[in-house]
This record gives sequence, structure tokens and C-alpha cells, in this order.
Amino acid sequence: MAPHLGQDEFFKSLGELLSKTSQQVQGSVYLTQKPLIDVPGATTTNSQPSILIRATDGNTNTPNLKKEGKDKVAKKSQKIKLSTIVQPDEIEAFYVRYAEVCKAGMTGLKKRDRRGRKAKTKGGAAKVTKA
Amino acid sequence: MPYLPTSQAYLEQSRAVITSVPRHSKHSSTSHLNTRIVTKYNFPTNRRGNLKQAYKSQVRKDAAKPTDAPSNTPAPPSAATATLTLKTFNPTTGICLHYRTNKAQEVGRLITSLGKLAAGADVAGLGLSAAVPAAGADVEMTDAPAPAPAPAEEAAPVAGKAQGQGQSAKGKKKGGKGKR
Repeated sequence: MAPHLGQDEFFKSLGELLSKTSQQVQGSVYLTQKPLIDVPGATTTNSQPSILIRATDGNTNTPNLKKEGKDKVAKKSQKIKLSTIVQPDEIEAFYVRYAEVCKAGMTGLKKRDRRGRKAKTKGGAAKVTKA
Repeated sequence: MPYLPTSQAYLEQSRAVITSVPRHSKHSSTSHLNTRIVTKYNFPTNRRGNLKQAYKSQVRKDAAKPTDAPSNTPAPPSAATATLTLKTFNPTTGICLHYRTNKAQEVGRLITSLGKLAAGADVAGLGLSAAVPAAGADVEMTDAPAPAPAPAEEAAPVAGKAQGQGQSAKGKKKGGKGKR
């Protein structure tokens, strides 16, 4: 497995992965978080473990037996795996950036349609008052 | 593996899973720490079944319209909205919680909440309702908002009372004088 990335590197790669997925309008991104326990390289302060963050696209490197014939022609893309370790005292700062990166990258979600709703209510209200 | 109706319910339940320690577990001290949270951001797939369904619904829509423009292609991919699925799973207890949304405005809040869940069991308030005032509730979140509204609320009734008392006292005094 690839070594854990630094936070800056992780965020950069994650941003690329998310925006790529959003642009293609296809595919998935999996973000996993779990506590690291009894693992060398993780520090534990007052019973709070480090957090391991992983990000992958859903691809698998194992060959699909059904599609084997086709895959020989078109080479499959490698699975993207990113991971980083967050120390307990860095969690807050990390998640602030994490949320920003996710917000910026997940553009495929439905945006809030504020303008339409406001216009509707305004129009309705105006009509009511006029009448 | 239920899909919870609101993000708040999901976060509260997840916190319960993360903080609770099962009674009859050998590794009771660490078992709750195995809980992992997976956030999946995905677009609808291009599987044949999915495409067929999209095509059928498109046909139905076209048929419903008065100006029938037959389109042989399935719904354009640009129309697809992504989905964000959150999953909390504890392998020891087998508890698995889901929450699914497609709203962009929820992303920031959800991720920050996940951070608070990750920060550990002693986070009493997720910015959610009814944070249990436990002994270990020395979180900034609970302290910060409380002092601000309290003085204003206190000040107003006190002032009102003071005025009311003053008036009533005067009235009583006068009344008393007149009677006597």
C-alpha cells in the first residue's frame, strides 16, 4: 500500500479526485475515517487515538472475469488510493480544511435554489397585496 | 441497516454508536473505537439496468408532453445529480447507519460534524439538540453561545419588573393615602 501522505498533499490529491469525478459526471469517491489503535506511527494522547483518513475511487485492480475479453483491449485505470493520518490535536484544523475541499469538489450535488424560491414568494406576496 | 430520515438523527445515532461500549465484549475498552465512517460521493452508474430505467422514464415524459419529440438517447448525463451517502459501521456490534442526501448545502455541516465525531467520545455537543450536560462537558461549544443571550433575557424582565414594581408601589401608596 502506498505510504500515508502529508495533509497538504492529501488535500491537493483529494481535490483533484473530487473535481475529476464531478467533471466526468460518473464514478464515485469513497472517504473513510477510522481511529488508529495500536499502530506504530500513531500517537495517542489522553485516550484519544489518531484518525486515519482514506480516499479512493471505487475502482478495483482485480480483473473482472466477465469482461476479461474486452479489458485486454482497453487498459483499466489504476485504483486511486489516498490516505493520511491526523493526530488528535490536529483534528479540528484538519476537518475545517477537509470540509472546504469537499464543498469545493462535490459540485455534482444539487445547489440550493434560493433565487427561484424568493422570486416566487415575492411575486405571490406582491399579488396578494395588490389584490 | 436503516437509512435515517434526517442528518441530525444520523449524527446523533452515530455518536451513540461511537460512544457506547457494549457490555459483553472482550475488548470492551477498544471495541467502540473500531467504528468507521464512510462517506461516498457518487454519480448514478451507467449500468444497463440504470440506463434502461432512465430511458423509459424519459420516454414516458416525452409521451406526456403534447409536442412529442422522440429521443432515442437516454437522459443526458449532465442532468445526473450526485449523491452523498454517509455510513457508520461498527463491526463489533454489527450496527450500520446510513444517511443519504443530494443537497450541496449540507456538505460543509456534515463533514464538520464528522470531525466532531472523530474527535472523540467526550464531544458532548455536536451543535445539536439536547447536549447531555455530563461531567466531561467542558467543550467550548456549550459554553460559548450560552452567555450571550442570557444577559439580554435577564435584563429585559428585570427592567420590566422594576418599572412595574415602581408603578404599582406608587399606586398602592397613593391608594393607601387616599383611603386613610
